[in-house]
Amino acid sequence: MEFRTVGSIEEALACLADVGDEAQVVAGGTDVMIQHMRREINPSLFLYIGNLCEMEGLTKNGSHAIGALTTHRHLATDPLVVAAFPALAEAASTVGSWQTQEVGTLGGNLCNASPAADTVAPLLIADAQVELRRASGVRRLPLDEFLLGRRSTARLPDELLTAVTARPPGERCGETYLKLGRRSAMEVAIAGLAVRLTFDAVGNVESAKVAACAVAPRAYRAVEAESVLEGSRLEEGTVAEAGRALVDSATPIDDARASASYRRHVLPGLLVRAVATCRERAVEQR
Amino acid sequence: MSAEFSMTVNGRTVTVDVAADETLLHVLRDELLLTGAKEGCDEGECGACTVLVDGKPVDSCIYPAPAAAGRTVSTIEGLVGSDGSLTPIQRAFVDGFAVQCGFCTPGFVMTLTALIEENSKPTERDIREALSGNLCRCTGYSTIIDAVLTATEERS
Repeated sequence: MEFRTVGSIEEALACLADVGDEAQVVAGGTDVMIQHMRREINPSLFLYIGNLCEMEGLTKNGSHAIGALTTHRHLATDPLVVAAFPALAEAASTVGSWQTQEVGTLGGNLCNASPAADTVAPLLIADAQVELRRASGVRRLPLDEFLLGRRSTARLPDELLTAVTARPPGERCGETYLKLGRRSAMEVAIAGLAVRLTFDAVGNVESAKVAACAVAPRAYRAVEAESVLEGSRLEEGTVAEAGRALVDSATPIDDARASASYRRHVLPGLLVRAVATCRERAVEQR
Repeated sequence: MSAEFSMTVNGRTVTVDVAADETLLHVLRDELLLTGAKEGCDEGECGACTVLVDGKPVDSCIYPAPAAAGRTVSTIEGLVGSDGSLTPIQRAFVDGFAVQCGFCTPGFVMTLTALIEENSKPTERDIREALSGNLCRCTGYSTIIDAVLTATEERS
């Protein structure tokens, strides 16, 4: 086992082109080190990219791009991120503890592809794309296509996830991320829900985006629930119907944290709270 | 293959040569004999191993040791002054009897040291949030929070 620290993205890409199959990219290490200790992974090389500060932070250059090495703590506390992507900032603030947020990165959270990854749902409602670089070029992939399933992504062994681009909420739009756990810290989500609602001038839902995590092998957009909400005024019956559609779209499992039936049970309630918050935030913004 | 690297630990530059997949906690405890940071859960859940890397609290049990190359690491052993004086957080723990079995104490003190560096007048909520990754199996949280509040009120 070798630990190689790279000083530039190019150096990282050259290394991945050479020995990508055997390398494990490491940034904060909060997932990788645990998986390594549990022998769930067995790389011959740790490729340490944690010094590549050009991959940190939010840049606004036409589109909004977030560097893959942006830490959860940065996402949760940087006023620029909180203003542009409130649901993502909320999600990042619920990941683990201060200690893990300080080193764990957005790119790591996405590449780790946990079904309960908190940052995925708020990025799905922001039409996020991931930027994958390799020595010979770059490709951009919708996050929805990047995530293949539990712990599985479309990243090729010679590719490095360098950034995520996403669309902030526009006018008359509110978004939020709600996470259910046994307590409000150090928790892997029992269920998580990100919702973004855009209203028209008279208060009807023009566009609804709903993404759920920890209730399926990967976070996903609940398009049936979205269609129920769109065109409505968020009447109680409509939100309840959207809740049923959300439950129908989920494929949860029983695990140590909760049963599948409990996960189904809590989803409609999360949706009720989320749409109320979205409406409040859309009004505040006006 | 091993990894040789240098870092600054409690103000002193040290060079170590360790297994490439070694954790910072084991380097501190086994190589440098700084046993203040404790191994509790060994998977980043309990915070007993908390040290500061470049001033920020991290779980050293899941921090890849060679990632600390060129960085500044602070442990509980580095807090005490050359004249033996305690920091305000340490003094608050003593004065407020905020220690029971003591196993978690170094981790709590390091996290709180980082907190008051960022925010010299934390609210109770700030303290609770900062400590969300530090577990005390004796459940002595209230005395810890009270001690910090007392210390930061006295300072201001």
